[in-house]
Amino acid sequence: MTHRIVLQPTQVELTAPAGTPLQDLLFEQGVEFPCGGRGRCRGCRVRVHEGAAEINDAQRERLSQEELSSGWRLACQCSVAGDLVVELRQWDAAILADDTPFVFEPRPGLGVAVDVGTTTLVAQLLDLTTGRVMAVRTALNAQARYGADVMSRVEYALDASQRAVLTDLIRRQISSLIDQMVFSSKAARNEIRNVVLVGNTVMHHLFCGLDVESLSHYPFESPHTGLQQFRAGDLGWDLNSNAAIRFLPCLGGFVGSDVLAGVLATRLGESEEIGGLVDLGTNGEIVVGNSAGLLCASTAAGPAFEGARISMGMRAATGAISQVTVQDGRPVCHVLGNAAPQGLCGSGLVDAVAAGLDLEIIEPSGRFSNGRREWTLAPPVALTQSDIRELQLAKGAIAAGFRILLHRIGAGFGDLKQLYLAGAFGNYISRSSARRIGLIDLPIDQVTPAGNTALLGAKLALFSGEGEEGSYTQLRRKIEHVALKSDAKFQEVFVEGLAFPEASPVQG
Amino acid sequence: MTLFEEMQQAIIDGKAPVVKELTEKALREGIKPADIFPNAIIPAMDEVGRRMRDCVYFIPEVLIAARAARAATDILRPLLVGDAEARSVGTVVCCTVKGDLHDIGKNIVSMMLESAGFRIIDLGADVSPEKIVEAVRENNANLVAMSALLTTTMVNMKAVIEALAAAGLRDQVKVMVGGAPVTESWARSIGADGYGKDAPAAVDLARNLAAA
Repeated sequence: MTHRIVLQPTQVELTAPAGTPLQDLLFEQGVEFPCGGRGRCRGCRVRVHEGAAEINDAQRERLSQEELSSGWRLACQCSVAGDLVVELRQWDAAILADDTPFVFEPRPGLGVAVDVGTTTLVAQLLDLTTGRVMAVRTALNAQARYGADVMSRVEYALDASQRAVLTDLIRRQISSLIDQMVFSSKAARNEIRNVVLVGNTVMHHLFCGLDVESLSHYPFESPHTGLQQFRAGDLGWDLNSNAAIRFLPCLGGFVGSDVLAGVLATRLGESEEIGGLVDLGTNGEIVVGNSAGLLCASTAAGPAFEGARISMGMRAATGAISQVTVQDGRPVCHVLGNAAPQGLCGSGLVDAVAAGLDLEIIEPSGRFSNGRREWTLAPPVALTQSDIRELQLAKGAIAAGFRILLHRIGAGFGDLKQLYLAGAFGNYISRSSARRIGLIDLPIDQVTPAGNTALLGAKLALFSGEGEEGSYTQLRRKIEHVALKSDAKFQEVFVEGLAFPEASPVQG
Repeated sequence: MTLFEEMQQAIIDGKAPVVKELTEKALREGIKPADIFPNAIIPAMDEVGRRMRDCVYFIPEVLIAARAARAATDILRPLLVGDAEARSVGTVVCCTVKGDLHDIGKNIVSMMLESAGFRIIDLGADVSPEKIVEAVRENNANLVAMSALLTTTMVNMKAVIEALAAAGLRDQVKVMVGGAPVTESWARSIGADGYGKDAPAAVDLARNLAAA
């Protein structure tokens, strides 16, 4: 028996046989399952407007009686039992597709660059003779249904047959993105000679079909971090069977070729001045150094920058407070999509805490002043004490990473001449608020949002032929990975970095 | 304010030098070392635990308060050797499990247990089951407290419990577990004796297990 499912607000209509898990249907529509569909979070909730969906213990635990009776369900716990009209609570992630101009040496043929993110994939088809981008495709990583973050992906892939599922999924999905780009641009499929992929170490291993056991525990160092090359024929991709598919080498630990590509794109390794690159995500990745050498590290910042584990946190989507400024001693909130405020996304959280510090509603220790328990920004959205603590953990981890890497090269924040913020969050975060909370201790004119540096670097690598002679090979030798957790000072520096700076730094 | 109240306040405020001074003063005034724990240190750290649970205190304040409490315990501990009453609270072997290097939470728990009067054998981070078994045997411990911060390393807790059983020590020790991915039901499923969801809960749990 086949049923009809209508998704709101997009009005997409689907059909599915009875018993189909809602998770499978919704995942294909770009809905994310932060806990991997195990009923451990509320990330995938939907509201059933017509029809019925079952309630189980997992839902009774996560949803209030009131929510359940007004139709809210966890999509991961329900399956199709009849015609349905459901409202999706979640919005797609904002994905950055890089369109920065870059310098290149023309080469014959076409190429594809892919940023294989834990959450999102971005692919571009390029004409290598002109450098022109012929097509772009973005998608949510299909592996995400088996866990939202790298560790849960690793946990799933510890079982060899499950790992094979993840490998097969990602290979098929990227092949399909390439097909879509060929189709939409009417490009000559056989002219695609080169595909360059970049991603963190876990994405690298899962694409290449490598064992992830060594990434599941300390010291998180895999023996298989090198460049991996395939022929299209090996992967069964519908391209010229000789087309070279390269997954660029990892840097160490969880730091992968997306960061290597970021260094390539920002040319950190070419300048004599000390520069830095940071990607603010669940695993914050940091690079510092100059032409003499670079250090990189990843630091477990937790999901606060993505609005997760924040009491009213949400992704940067309609209804999210994305900016908070202070006017006449009061907070003024900017809400995405001109809608009623529903929650707080990462950039809004950083702004809110910065504003709270300026208004002395929040003390430098992170505590609310005068025994306050929460701070209403724009009803019903409020900031709680534990939200501030989550942000302190995230910023403390990043700040400690910076301090330790800078210390190792004999420098301090003052010696850092240029800092690039990579990734989507880097584009949205207010640099002055980031400075106010002590996340980065640098005049804002020295901080540059750099967009999707991983994709830009992957495109650059397309122009440096096959094999080991690529520009990234030399660069990789210059970058050393530092395991922060093994640094005897990490805990001390981390704890020191949890508090906020006393007063507004002088704007520079 | 009595001397005990002054000590409590100094610990809560994290003033280690003041705590040291007051401890010495108390001893000069003839107060018994064993009386300082229940009247000053333990109630102060209980208050720190309450503030931590209410999100009023955060990691830095808790660590600073624990450091202040240690200023007192460092002076008192040598005076208590052989004092059966003071030792009876229990001996705890603390660590993070094999493969896990996240030790801030474990450090807070071990400091709070210490100020609650327990003798602490802190094995640090990334500790193998063999080392834990050895430490339990050597120190005649009656509690093992271990933590894991990753879903991929918490499975190693089970290996520790099995190793304790294989060494014939399982009846001698109570095992308590904690850490972000750990839950009450997971603790039960691996045969642990208890789960502490945060540091104050771990202290309560240790007290109950030691008394059982």
